[in-house]
Order: sequence, then C-alpha cells, then structure tokens
Amino acid sequence: MDLAIETSALTKKYGSLTAVNKLDLKVKRNTIHGFLGPNGAGKTTTIKILVGLLRPNEGTVKVLGQELHGGKSAGFLQSFYEQADSRLSIGYMPELPKFPKHLKGSELLDIYGQMYGMTQKQRKEQIPKLIELVGLKGRENDLIGKYSKGMQQRIGIAQTLLNNPKLVILDEPSLGLDPVGMVEVREVVKEIAKEGRTVFVSSHLLFEVEQICTHVTIINRGTALVSDTLQKVSGILTGPAMLHVEVAKISDTIVNAVKKLPCVSSVLQTGNTLRIQMTTHEDTRAQVSQEITRSGGIIVAMSQKTSNLEDVFIQLINKDQGGKPQ
Amino acid sequence: MTTTRKNTGRQRPSWFTRFWAVVKYEMLWNIRKKKFLGLIIVAFIFATLSWVLPVVLSATTDQAINANPNYAVTFSIPGIGIFLFALITAMNSISSEFESGTIIPLLTKPVSRSMIFLGKLLATLIIILVTYTILFVYVVIGGALVYGPQNNLHLVPLGLFGNVISTFIWIAIIIAAGTVSKSTTLSTLVAFGLFFGLFFAVPIVSVFAGPSPVLNYLPGSGASGTMMTTQGQIGIGAGTDNIGANLINYALYSSANVGFNMTHIELQGDQPLITQVFAYSEPISLITSRAVVTAVVYTIVFLFIAWIAFKWAQILE
Repeated sequence: MDLAIETSALTKKYGSLTAVNKLDLKVKRNTIHGFLGPNGAGKTTTIKILVGLLRPNEGTVKVLGQELHGGKSAGFLQSFYEQADSRLSIGYMPELPKFPKHLKGSELLDIYGQMYGMTQKQRKEQIPKLIELVGLKGRENDLIGKYSKGMQQRIGIAQTLLNNPKLVILDEPSLGLDPVGMVEVREVVKEIAKEGRTVFVSSHLLFEVEQICTHVTIINRGTALVSDTLQKVSGILTGPAMLHVEVAKISDTIVNAVKKLPCVSSVLQTGNTLRIQMTTHEDTRAQVSQEITRSGGIIVAMSQKTSNLEDVFIQLINKDQGGKPQ
Repeated sequence: MTTTRKNTGRQRPSWFTRFWAVVKYEMLWNIRKKKFLGLIIVAFIFATLSWVLPVVLSATTDQAINANPNYAVTFSIPGIGIFLFALITAMNSISSEFESGTIIPLLTKPVSRSMIFLGKLLATLIIILVTYTILFVYVVIGGALVYGPQNNLHLVPLGLFGNVISTFIWIAIIIAAGTVSKSTTLSTLVAFGLFFGLFFAVPIVSVFAGPSPVLNYLPGSGASGTMMTTQGQIGIGAGTDNIGANLINYALYSSANVGFNMTHIELQGDQPLITQVFAYSEPISLITSRAVVTAVVYTIVFLFIAWIAFKWAQILE
C-alpha cells in the first residue's frame, strides 16, 4: 500500500499522561484524510510528532516513505539533518498559526520559499498565485502584525503550499474563521487535493470533514478508534441505509419491482410512502428511482437516511468512554 | 549545488540557501525592532554630544578646543552600552519565538535547528558589526572635525573588533538564558541582574579587598587600575567589557604595566584614615590576552548551552 503517513505503536507521554497511546495510523497517498477527535484526544500531539516538533517516546513514524526521528540507526547529527530534508515535501499549517509580526505577508512567503530552496524566479511565480488563491491580494505588502486572525490563517495556508508539497498537514484550518472564511478554506482544501496531493486535516468540525474528506480516522485518548473511507466509517454502526420514497399513483407493480432490486432488503408501504430497507449503506437512490419510474410511478419526494459522521463520532467516543456522554 | 533526496525525489537545496534565509529572517526581525532603532538613536546622540559639547563650551568660554589626535583611536563603547546593544539584539532572538509561537512554522521548514541557531547568531553578529562600524566611522569623522587630524586610524578596526568580542559574551549569556527558560522576561532579568551585580560588586570588592584574581575571570568591567604612558596616566578596566580599549592600549603601549591599588582604612583616634595602597601590577599584554581568552571561553560555553537547549526543545504549546 502506498502510504503518505504511517505510524506504528506511536506513543507520546507527558509525565504520567499518555497523550498518544500506541497509535497505528495509515494515510494513503492522494486522499483527503480527516483526523477527528474530541479536545485532548491527541490530534495535535500526533501532528506535532509527524512534523518533527515533538519526539515520540515509542513507536515509529514514516512520512512519505521516510522514517522520522532518526529511526533506530541514525546518529545524533544525522537524525536532525535528515529530518529537515524530510520537510522539503511537506506543507504544514499549525492550529491558529502565528507568524513574525514584523514581516510583510509577501516577505514571509519569500523567506520561507528560500528555506525550501526555491529560486527567486520560482518564488516570483509562485507567491502571487498563492496570495490570490488565499484571497490576500492587495494586502500582501502589509505587515503581518496588522493582519486579522482570518488573514493570518490565510497566509498560513499560503505558506503551506509554497513548496508544492506532496503532503499537506492542516491542523484545524477553520479555527477562528468566520462562516464565509470557513467555506473558502474548504474550497481551498478541495483545490489542493485536486492537484494530486495528500491532505491530512485535523478538525473538530464534523460537517467540514464530511464535506471535504475521502478518508477518516477517529481518535480518542491517543488511540485510533476507527480508520477507513468516509463512506465505510459512516456506515459501520447503524448498518444499511433506509430510503423514504413518496410516490404518486402507487401500485403493487411498483412495490414488487422495487422489492426485486438486489440492493433492497424489504419494502414497507404506508399510504403513498414506501419505506425501503436497503442491503447496503451506499447511495442507491438512482437505482430505486429508475425502477419506480420504469414501473409507471411518479416520485414526489425521496430521501435516504444513513448514519452520518456525527452519529458515528458520538457513538464511538461514548463507547470508548464507557457510555458517558461527551 | 544540489543533490537529490533518495526518498522524496526532490532536489536538496544547498545548505547555504537555507541558512541565508534564516539570517535574512533574523536580520529583518532585528532591524525593525523599535527598541533597537531607539538604542541606535541614543548611541548616536551620545557620540554626537561628545564632540558637540566641547564646541559649545569653547564658544561660550572663548577658549580654543585643544587638539586631540588620539580621540578616535581611544574611543570605545562603555560597558553599559555594550550590554544594552547585546540585550536589545539578543533578548528576542529565540525566547520570543517560543513565546509568540512563531517557532512552530519556522521549525517545520526544511531547516535544521542547528542551521536556525547559527543563522540567528550570524544575523546578530552582522547587525552588531554594521552598527558598530557606522558608529566608529561617525566618531572618526566627528573627532577629525572637532579635535583636528587623528592619529593611528589604522587601529580603529582593532578597537571595533574588541567591542564586538565584549558584546558577544553578553549576547551568549542572554541567548542561553532565553533558550533554557523560553522566556524573554526571565532572560532579561538574569542578564540585568548579572550585569549590574558585577558592575557594582567587582569595583567595590577590588577596592576594599584588593583586586582578587577571580575578578579577572568574570564578565564585565573587571578591576580598575592605572597605566603610566608617555602620554600620561590612563585609567584601565581589566574586565571583558574593555577588550576594545585594551587592544588599542596594547597596540600603542605594548610594554606598559598597569598598577592596581586597594583601599587601606586605618583608625587614627576616632577618625578613619583612608589611603590608597599599591596592590600589584600586571603588563597590559597579560590583561588584554586574559580578557580575550575569558571572553571567548564564556561565549563558547554559553552558546553551547543555548545550542543544546534549542536542539532538544520540544514544542508543547
């Protein structure tokens, strides 16, 4: 499996507190992977280990195929040099990023670009594009000290993409943004992923993760509770989906035709409404509507009830904490 | 020159490109600090006053200004000035990066911690060197205008170099305190406490108890003595703050000796009789070389402590 991030039995302790507990995390390349968990679950600690800000007590970390924190064989000096090199292909935005207030937005990107080894020509091409992408055009020559929290978040995203990274790690990218800013950030994240990058995003906003992520890991008390595609994670607890269809001119022909569909488990008719129990949690509305129309029915309304990420998240966390509500 | 990373397939940028980016980052931080600009203005005001006041006095008293061909070569930044330059340039260098959280994006760039540490040091050195150079050139020009043609101008860079060494001890102490504590306030307090503690304690101890050899191995102004030269008597500070002046003194009067006195107090009836008693003398060459070695050792030790603390610092917040 081609993995962008792979941790094995990753453990980080702060005194007697175990922030990350034998975490096995696998993030496939070219996916948008959401990293979910309640406050204090160990998300930020894990991310800080991934980017080299913290050293784990135990376990191994591989980012883009390269073992971090020196591995077992690396020497004192080698471990740090290699780790700096591993960051050439990573873009990271910390939670509520802080940048030097004395620098202008464009200067910050220029200096960081130099740290990535970008030539002046590359920086001149890349920086205006990024400034435009994050909506800071016209403000790039202001000191960062004069930026609002939202603008700092935007310059944070821009610096993440400077080096055209293969892996983008975003820690709570929407934190502190107004609703418009949050929507814009979501669009930017989707845009980033389109260019064939892996995006690893931690968030406490479940609807945000649901809208942008293809894969999800839910973590609590430093341990991964579940990790899979968003669809599978959404379906793991409550089983197959239920479809509600309101049909004008309903007939037995229509009901029987629907029952014969392989994705249908059972059909219950109440007046003009059909309650269809599916065999899968996948979206089968197209198949069902096609069958009803073919049988002469006219669909007035249709909705599919599946468990969403929020249901799964709350159930998993409650279960992990012995049924106590969050 | 670039090499290719085996795993990421990316071009590894040259060490220098990344290092220079850190230097640039730190220099911009320093030169845009209001307190740094304020200190430079104050330094230039004092330098200006030192030759404007004689002109004003001369005009008001109708007495001609005496020519002083050694004015520029004997110029040295006083101990408090050296300390303040060190404090202002180094106090925010690492500790405030931790305090403000700006260290996080910096440490996640492809620059090693050693590279960041060395880059910050080089930036501080450049800032100090450029500021002192401008100040010394200003003093030479002002000295020539007020006191007439100046002698031994070729020795001015030696004095400047000595002032930079003196400044770097304090820079190393402040950076070490800031990196270990990750607190600008604490490192500033430590630096102030150490500087003023030694500033007041050393002369008092050396006057009453005699200039103990230990005093010569502490940072600061050191024991005070006098040196007899063909030009007359010159006051000498034996400490590390006076390396610049003593390098010049050594270059001008290499075989001169410096005499150190101690205060002798004797009761005669009810009245104390205070007399200055000769304690010992040392050649200027010994005083200067000992101060240079002491300064270098302090600088290396404190920078090493700071480097280790920075290298192993974990970012918890």
